[in-house]
Amino acid sequence: MSFGVAVTKMEFSFYSLAPKESIRFKKLKSIIENFPAASSIIVVVESKNREDKIQSEKKVKAAVDAIQKELSNPKYSKYITRIEGKMDMSFFENHGLMILDVDNIKRMSNLFSNPNIVPFLKQLNDNFEDEYSADEENLSEDERMLIGQFNGIKEILSLMKKSSDGTDISGEELSVSLDKFLIGNPYIFNKDNTMALIVIQPSFTVNDIIPLMNGVPLIDKTVREIADKYDVKAGLTGMTVVAKDEGETSEKGIVASMFISLLLIMILLIVTYKMYSVPLISGIPLLIGVFWTVGMAGFLLRRINLVTAAYMVVLIGLGVDYAIHLLTAFTLERDDGKGFFDAIGNSFRKSGSGIVLGALTTASAFFALVITRSSMVGELGIVAGIGIICELIAMFILVPALLGLRNERIFKRGKTKTKLFNKVRIKFTFMEKLGKSIKAKPYIYAITMFILTLLILPQARNIGVEKNIMNMEAKGLESIELQDKMTEEFEMSPDAIFYSSNDLNEIRDIGKRLRKLESVKEIESITLFLPSDSEQKERKPYIEKFKSYLSNIQSSNYVNITQLREELSRLENNLCEMSDLAYIGGMDNLHEKLDNLTGKDKEGNKVKESIVDKLLESLSGRNSEIEYRLVKFQKNFVLLSKAKLIKMANTDKVTLDLLPNYIRDSYVSRDGSCFLLNIIPKENPWVKENRDILNKQVTSITDETTSMVNLSDILVEIAEKSGLIASLAAIVAIFLLLLIDFRNFKLSILTVIPLLLSFGTLFGFMAIAGIKFDFVNIISIPLLIGIGVDDAVHINHRYLIEGKGNMDIVIAKTGKAVLLTSITTIIAFASFIPSLMTAMHSTGIVLSAAMAVAFLFSILFHPAILIIVYEKWGLSITPWRFKNEEKEH
Amino acid sequence: MRSGDLALHHGGLKMKKRNISINLLIISFFLILPGILFANNVNNIIQKANNMFVGNNIYSVNDMTIYRSGKLNITMKLENFFMKKGGKSYSLAVYKKPGRMKGTAYLMIENDLWIRFSSTGRIRKLSSSAKKNSAAGTDFSYNDMGDTGEGPISRYDMELVDSKEDVNGEKCYKIICIPKHGEEQDYEKLEVYISTKEYYYIKIDYFRHKANIKTLTFSEYRTIGDKIYPYKMVMESHIKPTKTEIITKEIEFNSSRVKERYFNISYLERIK
Repeated sequence: MSFGVAVTKMEFSFYSLAPKESIRFKKLKSIIENFPAASSIIVVVESKNREDKIQSEKKVKAAVDAIQKELSNPKYSKYITRIEGKMDMSFFENHGLMILDVDNIKRMSNLFSNPNIVPFLKQLNDNFEDEYSADEENLSEDERMLIGQFNGIKEILSLMKKSSDGTDISGEELSVSLDKFLIGNPYIFNKDNTMALIVIQPSFTVNDIIPLMNGVPLIDKTVREIADKYDVKAGLTGMTVVAKDEGETSEKGIVASMFISLLLIMILLIVTYKMYSVPLISGIPLLIGVFWTVGMAGFLLRRINLVTAAYMVVLIGLGVDYAIHLLTAFTLERDDGKGFFDAIGNSFRKSGSGIVLGALTTASAFFALVITRSSMVGELGIVAGIGIICELIAMFILVPALLGLRNERIFKRGKTKTKLFNKVRIKFTFMEKLGKSIKAKPYIYAITMFILTLLILPQARNIGVEKNIMNMEAKGLESIELQDKMTEEFEMSPDAIFYSSNDLNEIRDIGKRLRKLESVKEIESITLFLPSDSEQKERKPYIEKFKSYLSNIQSSNYVNITQLREELSRLENNLCEMSDLAYIGGMDNLHEKLDNLTGKDKEGNKVKESIVDKLLESLSGRNSEIEYRLVKFQKNFVLLSKAKLIKMANTDKVTLDLLPNYIRDSYVSRDGSCFLLNIIPKENPWVKENRDILNKQVTSITDETTSMVNLSDILVEIAEKSGLIASLAAIVAIFLLLLIDFRNFKLSILTVIPLLLSFGTLFGFMAIAGIKFDFVNIISIPLLIGIGVDDAVHINHRYLIEGKGNMDIVIAKTGKAVLLTSITTIIAFASFIPSLMTAMHSTGIVLSAAMAVAFLFSILFHPAILIIVYEKWGLSITPWRFKNEEKEH
Repeated sequence: MRSGDLALHHGGLKMKKRNISINLLIISFFLILPGILFANNVNNIIQKANNMFVGNNIYSVNDMTIYRSGKLNITMKLENFFMKKGGKSYSLAVYKKPGRMKGTAYLMIENDLWIRFSSTGRIRKLSSSAKKNSAAGTDFSYNDMGDTGEGPISRYDMELVDSKEDVNGEKCYKIICIPKHGEEQDYEKLEVYISTKEYYYIKIDYFRHKANIKTLTFSEYRTIGDKIYPYKMVMESHIKPTKTEIITKEIEFNSSRVKERYFNISYLERIK
């Protein structure tokens, strides 16, 4: 068993619950393993005071640079392959035009056909009017790019104003402004530049547990320390980080739960049995049983996942039941004056078969899970079923042995009861009273419990199934909250849908079609940066023509001030109109930016001078001097823009090797044979409604995509189908076992009835409490079937021994054990409730409620029904061999 | 066999053939009849439903509210004019509120669309392809807006698929609409629900790429002259968390307030 434990791997993420046979899962696994960027860690850096946008931008930029510099240090190379906070723009500076389509090349060509100031402004205005001035949808699609461009325009105009006022402008200042306008921001900023992202490519994937659990915390610590220094906030997100958080939260929850439940159970047993040694007598075989279970899981499955690990806590509550039954029977015999060995013998004789049948029914309910098609559910069935048997064997072997050791010690020391137990005693005499009451009024008990079910059962139709896996995560997990923030601030979900292919043309074609879908924000693939040979061939002449034309353009020695004023006014009008469209289109960041540029408030009222107003004012002064200064500015502007554009108009063939590493790593597999396409949804795909639309639209083009979101759909489907199948299988298996043991059809049916009624009541309770089924707590149904029937089995066995008219004795004798086992099981399940993981929390509530309801029906309804059927109606519930023996008598 | 008998025999054969042909015709007729009846039925249903909308010289004042992520984002007040003449449809929408947009107007003449900005006084012409884009940030496209003068599904082929579909407790005809053959429309399919009792439009689901991307619901039907008009229309997007609600404050059919001179660019320039 130790060997089994040694080879067992702990896999504590939802990813580990995925069905291995699923094609989508296999594809996802392949993508995660072959494309390093699929496991990216995303650092979200946010200014603490977002109101002050200028300072925010400065601080966030500085923090991003510092984090990038620190994490690029070789000491982190064990965990980090690459980090990108400020993108390397050299590829775009050198090949920017070749990666544009022909229409956009023409647009650029028109815009810069003459980079002298007045023609440039004229062309800029023409472009705005053609593309955006009346088209809110285009504005919306290019919002982020436009915000960047407007930043560039504002800076260029500001420099023009400074220049016209006589201030010398450095080439560097103008170059930076032009870069903003032409290429955009090398930082991944949100729309108002108060938040930025850093993308870290780790050296591990979500499958590599140990480096994941070590690397992510190290990166997190470093990032936070630097963020504090620069007075910003920073946190990590991305699939890898969420997996680590899930694992950590689950692990903490499980260890704490186990400890708490064990402690509570032991205290209860000490006080009930008046033995300080009960923790050892029941605890040692309990832990040995758990150890054997983990060992067997290692031999058979090689791993423990989130669900089977959580089950270990359940096993404590279940396994101790067998000790309780043995101890109860033993103490009753001893209280009757029997010697040690007789007491042991009698307790096995009187309770043994009930305990074994109870264990077998529970185990068979679990084993029945194996017939479902889900490997997750099947694994739980195997581990859980084996766990029950291991506990049974451990208890049967070790409890008597440990009782014997205790007996020997007491005999040697001559000890009697301690004084504590004289004061602290839990009396179970109320059970005898309850038994008498049920015996006297069986119809009242049966009908009352039945009516209770009838009242609550109709609510059961309102039960839902949780379709959003993220709702099952721990509340307050920063990595999850940051995902939501990313969707809101950067308008992109961090969770992409993946498509992969060995054929680049296929990627290109699929990408074009997917781009048209309304539910898709963006398509990312290598083809954005790597045009096909035919595309490059098509674009080359346009670029060469533009380059040739541009090379011959010289800066003019003249600036027509009148025309400049006209174009500036026209520019302001264009900006105003775009701002109006952005305002009614709900593009808050864009309309704020434009209102700021045009000197307007939110209501559209002019409240301050805009940069255009200031320029126009400057231009109304002494013309010749201003014209001279503007000519000087124009000279620099033409020189710089020509140089940059000619550089961008490189017509050398763009090949894979030329692409920056961070682009290649994102979209090309490690061995270079496969390409990845990311579908970025507009809305959060974890929300069912968004996901349904996205799936429908994407599958209208291809059904070969995969993602964590798809995986969650598979898990939810498992919850819906497997839970039902497993439950039906468990009921059938248990019924057969009952039939074999009791050899009476009526008694077997009567044993199952309280179980079914307790189901109905449980489902009604769940619907009223708003608790939904999910793929974790739905496994509680077969568990409930297996455990819930135990109490009724014990009562049956005792009733068959005590005979007609003695239900009060039955309840008096079995009631204590039945109550104790129910309480200990409830304690074990309730220990999940404080868990941070919502899934575990709801499972704790469901299982605890299930056990409480099963107990009530077993102790109140079942004995009443037995009396009614056997004693009042005279129907036989005895096994056929007893009938034969009666006949012989 | 005598010749007379042969003639009779041939005549008998001919008679048989004729009978078979007639029978085939009759059978074919009854096979096709349900289709004909259904088609007529669909047309009748649509005609009755469109009577609510179809009219000329329609004047209306609407409050249009856009909700984003469940929160009220902006409410606009628009004055609308619609006319159909010479086979062409004309519509003019003028913003009255909010203050920032007061005086901004849209003019649509068939496939041509102009916008006049009150902030600059300029008029811009949109490309015809822009008509399928969102109108002024709402969940309605310009084409959707234009349809309200002629009925929402005038440009589609229709098929009745159910006559007992339950929508919000109302029994409805469910009609599938697909673009007319050879014509490209904004949506690949519409699913239209018209109440069986009063022939009101209840709901329209719009489909693109196999998914229901938005839904238009009609409610608060009121009598106005000989028409019954939905005073509340809500377009809810399913691909983003937005909803646009149009509440009609005032509507007149055959209104004297609709004048032909409104539907040209020179009038746009004079709007205040």
